[in-house]
Amino acid sequence: MSAGTQAAVQIVIGGLLQGSLFALVALGFALVFRMTGVINLSQGAFCVLGALVCYSLEETLHLPVPLAILGSVLAALLLGLALGAAVFVPALSRLPNSSMLMLTAGLLTFIQGLMLVFWGGDPYALRPLWGEAPVQVLGVRVPSQGFWIAGTAALVIAGFWYLFARTTLGKALQASAENPTAARLMGIDVERMAAMSFGLAATIGALGGIMVAPILAVQFDTSQFFTISGFISVAIGGMGSFVGAVVGGLVLGVAEQLAAGYISGLFSGALALGLLLVTLLWRPTGLFAIGAARRSDVREELHVHPAIVRLRGRGAAALGVAALAVILVLPLLVRDPGLMGSLVITGILFIGVLGLDVLMGFAGQVSLGQGGFMAIGGYVAAILATTYGWPPLAGIAIGCAASLVCALLLSLATMRLRGHYLALATLAFGLVVDSLDVGMMQTTGGPSGLVGIPSLEIAGVSFATDRSMYYLVVGIIVVLVLALIGGTRSAFGRAMMAIRADRLAAGALGINVARIKLAAFAISAVLASLAGSLYAFYFHYLSPEMVGTQRSFEMITMLVIGGEGTLVGPLLGVALLTLLPTLVQSLALYKILAEGLLLVLAFSFLPEGMFGGLARLVARLRERRAPALASGLEAPS
Amino acid sequence: MSTPALELKGLTKTFGGLRAVDGVSFEVPAGGLSALIGPNGSGKTTLFNLITNLYRADAGEVRLFGAAIADAGDWRIAASGVVRTFQTARVFPGMTAIENVLAGAHRHVRAGAWQQMLWLSRARQEEHALALQAEALLELVGLAQFRDTAATDLPMGAQKLLEVVRALMAKPRLLLLDEPAAGLNDGETAELALLLRAVRDSGVTLLVVEHNMSLVMGVADEVIVLDAGAIVARGSPSEIQRNPRVIEAYIGQAEGAR
Repeated sequence: MSAGTQAAVQIVIGGLLQGSLFALVALGFALVFRMTGVINLSQGAFCVLGALVCYSLEETLHLPVPLAILGSVLAALLLGLALGAAVFVPALSRLPNSSMLMLTAGLLTFIQGLMLVFWGGDPYALRPLWGEAPVQVLGVRVPSQGFWIAGTAALVIAGFWYLFARTTLGKALQASAENPTAARLMGIDVERMAAMSFGLAATIGALGGIMVAPILAVQFDTSQFFTISGFISVAIGGMGSFVGAVVGGLVLGVAEQLAAGYISGLFSGALALGLLLVTLLWRPTGLFAIGAARRSDVREELHVHPAIVRLRGRGAAALGVAALAVILVLPLLVRDPGLMGSLVITGILFIGVLGLDVLMGFAGQVSLGQGGFMAIGGYVAAILATTYGWPPLAGIAIGCAASLVCALLLSLATMRLRGHYLALATLAFGLVVDSLDVGMMQTTGGPSGLVGIPSLEIAGVSFATDRSMYYLVVGIIVVLVLALIGGTRSAFGRAMMAIRADRLAAGALGINVARIKLAAFAISAVLASLAGSLYAFYFHYLSPEMVGTQRSFEMITMLVIGGEGTLVGPLLGVALLTLLPTLVQSLALYKILAEGLLLVLAFSFLPEGMFGGLARLVARLRERRAPALASGLEAPS
Repeated sequence: MSTPALELKGLTKTFGGLRAVDGVSFEVPAGGLSALIGPNGSGKTTLFNLITNLYRADAGEVRLFGAAIADAGDWRIAASGVVRTFQTARVFPGMTAIENVLAGAHRHVRAGAWQQMLWLSRARQEEHALALQAEALLELVGLAQFRDTAATDLPMGAQKLLEVVRALMAKPRLLLLDEPAAGLNDGETAELALLLRAVRDSGVTLLVVEHNMSLVMGVADEVIVLDAGAIVARGSPSEIQRNPRVIEAYIGQAEGAR
């Protein structure tokens, strides 16, 4: 074998090993999707959790390796079953698909937060089961752990086949997936089957994580990488197809390693996104389509819909003016500079969350890449200002334009597809932007960030102080909120709500669903971009994690706990999550955990958010005092 | 003769081995009110889905006001003035009754979103005028007092009427109603009959799928009977009532069941 061929074989083998892990994660995805029609974003977290628990059992408790592996797999199974039965399955009958997706994002954040609290932010690697020395096979060096990875993958796949082909449990699972109603009539506990699939998927993920951890160090937020890789694998292979999941995983693994080996490691993320988009355009159903995903169709027919509580009329206007007065006076009362800074950040993030509210609260589309658009806005404006000396306003405009172009491309590529491909494309997009921020050292400053960004200056007026920045941001917010109130109390707003509620019926009334979705996505991207630019100018510094995927998830939490579809409601969520860590410094470590937990709790107990809860309370008080006055408030169901 | 509002030529659709619609041809003259009846599973709703392009026909073609619809998206069909309702009332959850009706006006709104964002007075005035129209329509079907009620909180009969009114707000040229009387009580059904006649008299062409025979016989100009995906009879309501094949396929069966 020539050296070139040998290197190629070496790379392909590495790819197949990585692909085996992707295949395992993808199998978990396929299982849960087939059973419930939901894309479970928390899948990747169980991989990391399995590896970390195993590490602690081995290194801290000094358990023998087989026992440590068994213990960590059991831990993942138990956590999976518990979360599945207590959170995931009960939500299935109450939440629409878009909210289910966000709920699983909440679970992902929650598990990541748990891991951050217990294991910190450091990467961990397990000891290889057969020692460090690679094995020579026909002149190619294979890490000994590779045999374990491949063996585990093969074993799990065989187990899957046996479960579904030979056991009663497998038949019951399959029946629940194919036709839940009929399965229920046959005495199958469909809910239990769904919870079980969730637990099983968690177990498979953990097993994959444990096997791969000796050659790939993992830390709490590697979860996102596993989740998106698993998802891309399953989308390439065909949503819900087990064979497709395995093939998709291997294809993605090899393609990523080839790209890393021959082009640059930097672009393997972009390659994965590209591969996903190309597959979806060329063959939307993936390589191994299993026909229509029936459960997902059924769920769309359900029209489960969270209550949206909005305030209207004079009362709402008066409340708005009062709230604005408080906001304007606030800086005069706040003495603590740290708190003042947090108020500015609250305002800046709220601009991005406003965009998210239009997209998710009104049009019912999920974006998991809001941080990516913030990054584009932030880096473009900052780089133009520092390196090229452009005026800030021009940089902001270019940033918005760049975000708009990205949003249009993503949206056009996923437009023909049903389900939540846009949401997952945004997640992949966000992760690509993350990796570019880190990787393009020369332009972005890499992981240590971009320094020396000037203060915002518009027409000779400098906004260098916290207070001036605060009033500028408040001014922008007032203009945006007024514009969006006007824009949503119109044909456009109704069309978005109609699409969220019932896409088919909306189309039958002449609403151009694709165009409205595109417009909503464009608005959300531009507002995120604007927020990102302001963020950079305010901090005079920008680093990848300030506008990363964690930020995207955080913004979703802010939106949901504040109150979707209410425009002003999310401000409560943004303020809570931004001000609380400032007021109670010791909470900083628990921030991610709290964000995940709050999102999950909000979906379970307060789906209308804090704003909705407050509005409902006001309505009840008013009714008690004067029933006639309550007409300014509408509270569906 | 003027162009028919709706023209079907040899329309066929199969699901697996089942020929749900099997070579159906008929036309609805402009300004007419035709009723489509037939037992459950005879292909009526499938026909609606073919006309509005939710399904793609395996063979045959649909012409709306003389134009072929092949490849037109659902919103384009509606934009050409062909509006439908659904068998199960599909009001928009999370929206009030009046918002639901206003959503029907979508294709007639002139002011763009940006004009609304700037609160231009022309845009607000248009919005106000639309709201008045919507209120008048709600009044017409006796739903005015539910103006600000969440649509999904209304009783089923009211939801069906709301859906019809929402379709009317779109000012269709051809209105396709899928079992509008299902879930309505006798009083509401009588009101619906009046409404349908009034709509027809205002120049809108109607095609109604309906099980309620007294409604069909009372309002339709022509009745088309479908069984197992094919037309078994066509004619005026009184002809259909006397047709032995129809009695066998549909009416006889229904009466026998009672």
